[in-house]
Amino acid sequence: MDDSTPASVQNGMDVDTPPSVTSTPAVFSLDSETFKKIHPTEYHRRFLSQGVRPDGRTLSRFRKAKITVGAITTAHGSAMARLGETTVVCGIKAEITEPKTGAPRDGFIVPNFDLPPLCSPQFKPGPPSELSQSISEYINRVLESSKLLNLSDLCIEEGRAVWVLYADIVCLNYEGNAMDAAMLALVAALKHVRLPTATFYEADNAVRVKEQRTIPLKLSRTPISVTFGVFDGQFILADPDIEEEPHLSSQLTVIIEQNGGLCGMLKPGGSALGQETLTSCLEAARTRATHILGILEGALAER
Amino acid sequence: MTQRTRPDKRHSPNEMRPFYCSSALLSRADGSVRFKSGDSAVMCSVFGPMEVKLRDEKLDKAVVEVIFKTAAGMTTTKERMYERIIRQTLEASILSGLHPRTSIRVTLQVLTDDGGILSTALNAATLALVDAGIPLRSLAASVTCMIDDTGELLLDPTAIELERSASVHTFAFDNVSEGTLANMSTGLFTVDEYMRCYETCRLAAVSVQQLFRTSSEGKVRREYG
Amino acid sequence: MAKKGKKALEVRDLPPGEEAASSTTKTLVIPGDHIPIKIENSTGPARVRVGPGLHQEQGELVAVKAGILQQGSQNRWWVEGTQKRYVPALGESVLGIIASKHGEFYRVDIGAAHPASLPVLAFEGATKRNRPNLEVGSLIYARVSLANKDMEPELDCIDPATGKAGGFGELKDGFMVRCSLGMARRLLDPRSPILLRLAEAFKFETAVGMNGRVWVNAETTPHIITVARAIQVADGAAAGDVMRRVEQVLRTLDDFMDNS
Repeated sequence: MDDSTPASVQNGMDVDTPPSVTSTPAVFSLDSETFKKIHPTEYHRRFLSQGVRPDGRTLSRFRKAKITVGAITTAHGSAMARLGETTVVCGIKAEITEPKTGAPRDGFIVPNFDLPPLCSPQFKPGPPSELSQSISEYINRVLESSKLLNLSDLCIEEGRAVWVLYADIVCLNYEGNAMDAAMLALVAALKHVRLPTATFYEADNAVRVKEQRTIPLKLSRTPISVTFGVFDGQFILADPDIEEEPHLSSQLTVIIEQNGGLCGMLKPGGSALGQETLTSCLEAARTRATHILGILEGALAER
Repeated sequence: MTQRTRPDKRHSPNEMRPFYCSSALLSRADGSVRFKSGDSAVMCSVFGPMEVKLRDEKLDKAVVEVIFKTAAGMTTTKERMYERIIRQTLEASILSGLHPRTSIRVTLQVLTDDGGILSTALNAATLALVDAGIPLRSLAASVTCMIDDTGELLLDPTAIELERSASVHTFAFDNVSEGTLANMSTGLFTVDEYMRCYETCRLAAVSVQQLFRTSSEGKVRREYG
Repeated sequence: MAKKGKKALEVRDLPPGEEAASSTTKTLVIPGDHIPIKIENSTGPARVRVGPGLHQEQGELVAVKAGILQQGSQNRWWVEGTQKRYVPALGESVLGIIASKHGEFYRVDIGAAHPASLPVLAFEGATKRNRPNLEVGSLIYARVSLANKDMEPELDCIDPATGKAGGFGELKDGFMVRCSLGMARRLLDPRSPILLRLAEAFKFETAVGMNGRVWVNAETTPHIITVARAIQVADGAAAGDVMRRVEQVLRTLDDFMDNS
């Protein structure tokens, strides 16, 4: 439309462009709640470009971690870990079983992580989800390959009876980053375990257990899981929460000890991460691990 | 570095096992590949873009499903973890926005497992997607390496070598971006060892990419003369 | 700007044989390869048109499928590869099977991710009262009239240039075989050596769908089988081996005819 016909624009008749375009451009704006619903990824992108996250944290800031041990009195060891609002409980139950013939002195530890429908509407009842099975499997691999427990410590009588530790890790409230919370609850619970003294009697082929005399488990190390989210392949978010998780292009989990030794790295697909990013994540993870260990020791001392 | 022969007669710790691949083996699948790395072999079929179940439908992109089956056929948590890693790695390569409201199904069947099965499966999946003509942003190539109990790095270890491993590292790299697409490391290792494995696998992935190129070339040249 | 996606190009207009001749070298590309063609601000006759297998990313042209990079007339570029699954593209002729009948349209299986719809009025001379009578399971030859990745594809049975059926419509008798999409494109070439060789031996009719389906009809059943077999054995065979295999099929026919 050319500029010489303002009259037809004014009276609004047979105008094929909206009147607002011509003089005062109406500002098309949305309130933040609506914007978040319509463009969730863009919503996060605008926050991150300002160096802050929707929940007020800076990019490199982790959520507050809290550990309580001994919450479940019926278990041989238990702990509850909280990362922000994400709450995970781990209970360890010891039972007696026969060892495998190939390893007559080795006991077993069976970790199982569950994300029940209770913890978030995104998990449905039925068989365990791919996410919870993957976390179970990865935790199991880390336990095995890092030789966290000396499995022969679980021996009662060679070839006859050993302890099997069932570590059930259950998420009660899911607000993102299940891996870190699950690992933390498991390690805290293992440190809390006190096994009853058990003796094998050949005569009646049975094990007698003295519940009042207990011994702690010996852990060779304390691995801490630290997860980072990657947004748009460039922003590294420490400890991503449930709002951020669906918009991440990738995630990186570092299983690290206080001395900087690594027990595992997991990056299950997604956008590419360069060596420099990995190095900076490893450094941040080590600092975080030291911090978490302080909290863990505090929790265990309080008991 | 000590020059000792590896159990499968390889001379260098930095040597990969020979790979073979043959494509378009299955008549019903849209794309199929058998990928063999030494004695680890995986068969992969790709269907799609095809109709999607209403429950899984995504309005703006194709749904990628990955099914991983071991030779024994039992599905345990291990297979589910592999499925998740492979799916999320492929999702980064597939231009799923070009086929909204469809499904792309990748089925992996392990034929024989002699170490590095995750890498073998991922390479098979990439080649099968190429065979099916699924639009891809890049090609993901995966390599496994390990550090043994003496601290020596061995590229592409066999099952026998893995028994002596202190740590095992699987990486995936593509031919477009700088950095790793996927990584799974377990065992006990230092940051320096990790970075050495990263670099070794990154260089080895280039030779896997080369195989991707020659195999596609062979196939196209054969058909078009 | 070059167009994204697949609809910019109609391979049918430019038989593959012609392209191979016009492009000087056969360049093989794999997904992720950058194509050194300038697409920024290309206008007029130099305007680059992008077809299947190429994608524009941040102002650069990238291959997304493996195959031979081809250049056609008017600066058209695409990647010729092997693929079995059909992705509908505007104007392509396809063979479909009626899957269900509805009030105003038929639902047709064309082998793509989604079934196509064929309006009952999209036939020559069809009116509200004079509808075509197609049963479920009928084979039709149709043209893709709407292809959009977000929408269900639509078909019609009218040649848009003339408004006549022009060969589109129900295919009666005969037999349908499936082949790869590359094979279907090669059969559409009027100089396709396979069909020319068969035509020397006997008379037959074909309708080739870009969706990798070929309908064949001839005077006798053995002749139909011969054409169908020839297409199937040629599909996936090495380029140098195709004609030898076709000859083999023809010899089988001769033996059969001699014996009966």
